[in-house]
Amino acid sequence: MKEQIKKTLYRVAEDVLEKLAFIFSFPEDERENIDYASAVTAKVSFTGPFTGTLVMAVSSRALPELAGNMLGLEDDEEPTLEQRYDAVKELINVICGNLLPAVAGKETLFNVDPPKIIKDLENDMKAFSSENEEGPNPLAAARLDIDEGQCDLLLFVEGDIPTDAIHSE
Amino acid sequence: MSINVLIVDDSGVMRAMILKSLRMSGLPLGETHQAANGQEGLDVLNQHWVDLVIVDINMPVMNGEEMIDRMRESPEIKDIPIVVISTEGSKTRLEKLQQKGAAFIHKPFSPETIRDTIRDIMNLGGDDEGAD
Repeated sequence: MKEQIKKTLYRVAEDVLEKLAFIFSFPEDERENIDYASAVTAKVSFTGPFTGTLVMAVSSRALPELAGNMLGLEDDEEPTLEQRYDAVKELINVICGNLLPAVAGKETLFNVDPPKIIKDLENDMKAFSSENEEGPNPLAAARLDIDEGQCDLLLFVEGDIPTDAIHSE
Repeated sequence: MSINVLIVDDSGVMRAMILKSLRMSGLPLGETHQAANGQEGLDVLNQHWVDLVIVDINMPVMNGEEMIDRMRESPEIKDIPIVVISTEGSKTRLEKLQQKGAAFIHKPFSPETIRDTIRDIMNLGGDDEGAD
């Protein structure tokens, strides 16, 4: 089940990054997580057949191009900090909105909170992550290389996902 | 005929993306207005002539569904075509929106999807394209 959810997370993330930000991404499953201290991170929490939080971290150096693409800025225009944050929030919002029905099926109902920028991810993760000796323990993670940087997605779920809450395509 | 459009979304980036897609679509755009939630959207509708409303669902202050309900209750604006652009994936919620007479576009979207949906809901033929 974990492997199926991870594959879905990769597929949805790659699709949304391409269609929304016009950026191609490449899976780098074996690499270490991004250095969160030098990344912009956002989260979206949800409740429904299962409850949890999706976290997205994007390298700061990749953000100008990513936000610029979404806004349609010219090469000599720089997105503001607020626009960069807004771009990450919109990306995680769309990824989460596409991920949940892809995992649980279109008949299910989820309530998704507004996306939020996280200032201290390491600390914030303690609220929604069960930790093991190696640190936070997401149900699924997608590590992507994108132009100029990297992007990580971590899916945390409270407890176990009921087997009947998983949609098989 | 040019179309005056109101875009309602709490994300400034998404409003910019929708506007960019509309400009790329070839549809004859007139005035464009923006609002960050349903209440602001209703305020714009009270002050300007709008031919088409494009609205998100999940927004603070007043969500898109409530805005649509308020529009449908108001004689002056009840017939304005509405396109919902959202990440909503639940069949039940989508059917509810369709019952209110709104068309639906799923995020992420392409300019072609926006163009075709607007042509459809506003009964525009394929030869109504603007010059730009």
